[in-house]
Amino acid sequence: MNAVFRKLQVSATQQAFVLNQALTTCRATPSIQHPVWASVNERQYKSMPTHGIGRWRHLLPKDPPKKKRDRPQMKEIVVETETTYATLNVNVSGYDMTMVEHFSQHIHNLCNRLGIKVLDCYALQTKTTEVWLMQEQGTKMSVDSFLKTHNRVVQLRSLNATMCPIFLEVLLKNQPEGVQLSVQEHTEVDYKTRFKGRPDLEGLKAKIA
Amino acid sequence: MAAPCRRMAGRSLLQFVSSFSRTSVSNSGFRQFSSTSVCRGSNQAQHVEERASSPWTLMAAVCLQRLPVISAESNPIEQQFRDMMIQMELEKSMLSDHELRLLDDAERLRRMQAGEYDSDEEEDRRDQEIVLAQDLEDSWEQKLNNFQPAARVSDSEGDLGSLQRCLSDSLLLLVERPVGMEKLWMLPQTEWQRGETLRETAERALSSLPAASGFKATFLGNTPCGVYKYKLPQAARTESSVGTKVFFFKAVLSDAGAPPATESSQLWVTKSELQRYVKPAYLRKVERFLLGF
Repeated sequence: MNAVFRKLQVSATQQAFVLNQALTTCRATPSIQHPVWASVNERQYKSMPTHGIGRWRHLLPKDPPKKKRDRPQMKEIVVETETTYATLNVNVSGYDMTMVEHFSQHIHNLCNRLGIKVLDCYALQTKTTEVWLMQEQGTKMSVDSFLKTHNRVVQLRSLNATMCPIFLEVLLKNQPEGVQLSVQEHTEVDYKTRFKGRPDLEGLKAKIA
Repeated sequence: MAAPCRRMAGRSLLQFVSSFSRTSVSNSGFRQFSSTSVCRGSNQAQHVEERASSPWTLMAAVCLQRLPVISAESNPIEQQFRDMMIQMELEKSMLSDHELRLLDDAERLRRMQAGEYDSDEEEDRRDQEIVLAQDLEDSWEQKLNNFQPAARVSDSEGDLGSLQRCLSDSLLLLVERPVGMEKLWMLPQTEWQRGETLRETAERALSSLPAASGFKATFLGNTPCGVYKYKLPQAARTESSVGTKVFFFKAVLSDAGAPPATESSQLWVTKSELQRYVKPAYLRKVERFLLGF
């Protein structure tokens, strides 16, 4: 009750002044600064006119409460129309991680500049290849090196057909040595390969079915 | 021009799956292209009504480019910056496993020579001690010295018909065709026929080149990248042909096949050399969609 009155007072400062004056005419209280309904042990600043001036969170729409385990949902694959392509995956792969990452960042920045909408930008699993060298004499094989193939994907949303040759040409001309570029349509299978398999769960499912 | 554009809009877009790789130089400097185009049912049967035939003849031309094989040379500022960045990153970086091994081996060697070395105290005795890290590094150095990289500038610089020139620039295919009274240099083009898309016309233009037996090109899209129209001179104009409109399609060379035998009507030029061969009006339109210098 007190809080309600305090808020009313904060929002209408000039009315408080008028009320104060009214009070002095009604009652013979000498104090004008302290309103009547503010008790002695209240903090003074909460009655300041500017109290709560920076509050904004109460103005936002209410978000639904988030579930604890939010399973990552697949983003909708954009359907292709007569003038745009479907969701395209630009896959950059190579052995040199800095080159691959820098090139994929270059593609992303290029899309931002050209107005091509980028749905997603993620990395696929790194595949390691062991290179074994055969010794000249004898049949013993020895480990020579480990080659890691890195993969980065930039997912494009509705690439315009007129933009396509220009975009591809820029990519091809800027492609660094040692980096492979591949442009494919996005499918469900591509999305599913990003997740780890759960062999025990599948085994249990097979037992039930 | 209503005809081919509407046809292209009516027909579903070709989906294409293409991958461009740039590692091995096995194909004499060309990138490996693999592309499959999946054509989704053509709607050519739907075009039934006759439209008023336009006085413009339509042609499609192909802008065939050989992409750069090696990266361009950097100017002095770029070189200096690159050296500085390499030095900075080297100074800020941590030691790698190999360098730590080098340090360990050096330390162990020093202790052995100083006589304080007690082999029983040595922890982690592994067979790797036999091969010191320094030896590995020496063998790697030797392998590097045995490798001979190819020359950046090939000797066929002056030969404008060769594909090996200007490896760091992209080259454009020009052909010489008789037009009217004279022979002009232009991009390969053919006339559009009813019942095909403009892209197919461009593909036909490419395959109808005399020396094009081995040309394998990947078209970058279904849409043209430029247009050039010219009106015939007053004397040659009739009611049915006022002029020609040429639509350009971009394509990237993936395989040249056998080199043509002294083909004088075919050239590979860079964008800066283009103005020596091509008419100014044509050049103005073509330059607009050529990327590069």
